[in-house]
Amino acid sequence: MTVSAPDAAAIRGSRGFGPDAVLGALLVSPIVLTMAALVFYPMSRTVWDSLHRVNPMQAGRPFVGLENYSRMLSDAQLGTTWINTLIYVVLAVVFGTVFGVLAAALINQIKVGRQWVLAAVILPWALPGVVNSVIWLWIYQPGAGLLNGILSAFGLPFENHVWFNDRTSAIIAVTVVHVWRMMPLTIVIVLAAMQSIPAHLYEAARIDGATRIQMFGLVTLPLVRSAIAVAMTNATVNAFNLFDEAWVLAGSSLETRPVLVQIYLETFQNLRFSYGMALSVVITLVSLLISLVYVLRVYRNTRFD
Amino acid sequence: MHKFILPLLASAALAIAMPAFADESKPLAGQSITVLMPSPQGSDIAADFEAETGIHVDLQTLSWDDIRPKLVTALVAGTAPADVTELDWSWTGQFNAAGWFLPLNDVIDADTISDIAVAKIFTVDGTLLGIPYTNDFRVMLINKKHFADAGITEAPKTLDALVTAAKTIKQKGIVEYPIGLPLSATEGASTSWYLLTKAFGGELFDKDFNPLFTSPDSAGYKALAFELMLLKEGLVDPASTGLKDTQINESMFAQGITSIMISGEPGRLGQMNDPKQSKVAGQAEAILVPTLSGETRSFGLPEALAIPKVSQNQEAAIAFVKWFTSKDHQKKNAVNGFLPTRTSALSELNETGKLNSGDALVAQSKTVEALFPQGTPPWYPQFSSGVNTAINSAAKGQLTVDEAMAAIAAAAEQAKSQ
Repeated sequence: MTVSAPDAAAIRGSRGFGPDAVLGALLVSPIVLTMAALVFYPMSRTVWDSLHRVNPMQAGRPFVGLENYSRMLSDAQLGTTWINTLIYVVLAVVFGTVFGVLAAALINQIKVGRQWVLAAVILPWALPGVVNSVIWLWIYQPGAGLLNGILSAFGLPFENHVWFNDRTSAIIAVTVVHVWRMMPLTIVIVLAAMQSIPAHLYEAARIDGATRIQMFGLVTLPLVRSAIAVAMTNATVNAFNLFDEAWVLAGSSLETRPVLVQIYLETFQNLRFSYGMALSVVITLVSLLISLVYVLRVYRNTRFD
Repeated sequence: MHKFILPLLASAALAIAMPAFADESKPLAGQSITVLMPSPQGSDIAADFEAETGIHVDLQTLSWDDIRPKLVTALVAGTAPADVTELDWSWTGQFNAAGWFLPLNDVIDADTISDIAVAKIFTVDGTLLGIPYTNDFRVMLINKKHFADAGITEAPKTLDALVTAAKTIKQKGIVEYPIGLPLSATEGASTSWYLLTKAFGGELFDKDFNPLFTSPDSAGYKALAFELMLLKEGLVDPASTGLKDTQINESMFAQGITSIMISGEPGRLGQMNDPKQSKVAGQAEAILVPTLSGETRSFGLPEALAIPKVSQNQEAAIAFVKWFTSKDHQKKNAVNGFLPTRTSALSELNETGKLNSGDALVAQSKTVEALFPQGTPPWYPQFSSGVNTAINSAAKGQLTVDEAMAAIAAAAEQAKSQ
């Protein structure tokens, strides 16, 4: 006992302050400092300020506790924007994932010029959200828009159809633009996972008489499940952050207004900065909580123990 | 020898003294200021001002809708977005409460203030926050060729006559949608409803800011019902639910696709009658706003120049504001679509025949009222957002007139209470 105790202390000491530990600390310090300055401090400050009244039209910044949070319960417009946002999230995650996985599977079959196809597919993701939205605004134009033109060419009565005059079609129109922009990321993530599947697994399945659909369902999907979960996490966070598409296509129209537009209006139109901060904190937490479900699933699927 | 020496000495003395004289006439020469205004502005503003004062101007222009977020972001952080900035009438209550702008009472002379009648819209609790440079109020713009082609010889003075004229133009097949009316969730939808509320003979609020538009007998209620009737009758394009007033002006009225801008901007007449920018050059005309009674009414939406308190170049900024709102510059700037705010400049331009639809504009300018005679309240932006959101929803059939009016009243109460 008397011999082993100093040895253990020496080991702990060498682990804590050895050259490797110092080097490790030095290597991670830039990212720790950067994260502290650009993420943790602003986030903490936002949470702290959301507990105060920050409004340039009113003197001082008194502590108001949870008043900014309790106000959300009586904010009728906010309720509508939350419903809109949740619809966007569900539609964007479902359609983004389903079509993203199918597109990745298709691209994975291409033997020649796959990189060119991938470059073309990535283009909407590489373009700024506002540019994508303006392009789609032209497509949705009631008079000379491409969509109405195509539908009219098939003899359908869509010549002057206004897609944003109906809430359902307006929400779908905004979601389509968002999925169009974000789906390439899902494709890239899932495609990378598909390309890492060993070819002999497909050969074994083929020898066992599996069809293409069976191979996709029984070999491909289980092995890219983790990648799909990562893509879904990403899609969820992005759908909660939907702003450009709704703003460019329909402005502040209540029928399509997501929570982020509401935050923008509360902050920069009504100058209620602390209320805007409280809303930002809540949407961040909700977004993280929902994403956590996927993350925990990924952890369960990929852990080595 | 003296013949050469004396003139040489005199020239040398003059050469040394000239910069001193120049400095006296341009005491702020060499300074630089930034100016933030809505686009478009005249291309020679910076050069003209620098030639006159020696002050260099970095003129930055943004679309009107983008200026406010830039101002708010910078000012709330305690920095100056520019040394001279745009100040819209609708921001005065909020920005005065925030204390962001330099009071100009003591730096602008009394004659200027008395010559610019709309300056009182920018005076909150005795503090003059900005000097108006563009005299925006509402008139009605019509395409006189469309009217003539439809056989309409007299400009409508009442709302009934307006509807009859629009129906005639539509029936004659001149245009499909004769009336331009913004119904999107933007400020243009709000201001059109305010104008129609006045046209129906009413006001938005009483002196204590209690809403006057919730009863079916009220002017505000009738104004929204009127807008929805125009939409239902096919006199207004259903796509207007997604269009701002600027888009309707530029992509419909200026293209000859629509015949009447209910809530017309006088400053647009120059652009509308310029063949380079418009397909209806020579056809656009301003008429007095038709009303239920036939007695025209209008309200002012002027824009001003203001100086942030945190500006580091306040003297040069004041010089710019004085120069830009001077009579000479206002008369010159009218060609860029900015109607003078000085009564003297407006009269002189009209007398010389340089004002498009001058008689109508001068007549309408005499009827201009403040939308809020008590002063623009700090909660105006939130109220206006509630107005245009409700109008937009009603135009899409999501709300009835009753529900829309209740939503606007609720938005006003919520805005006032916070």
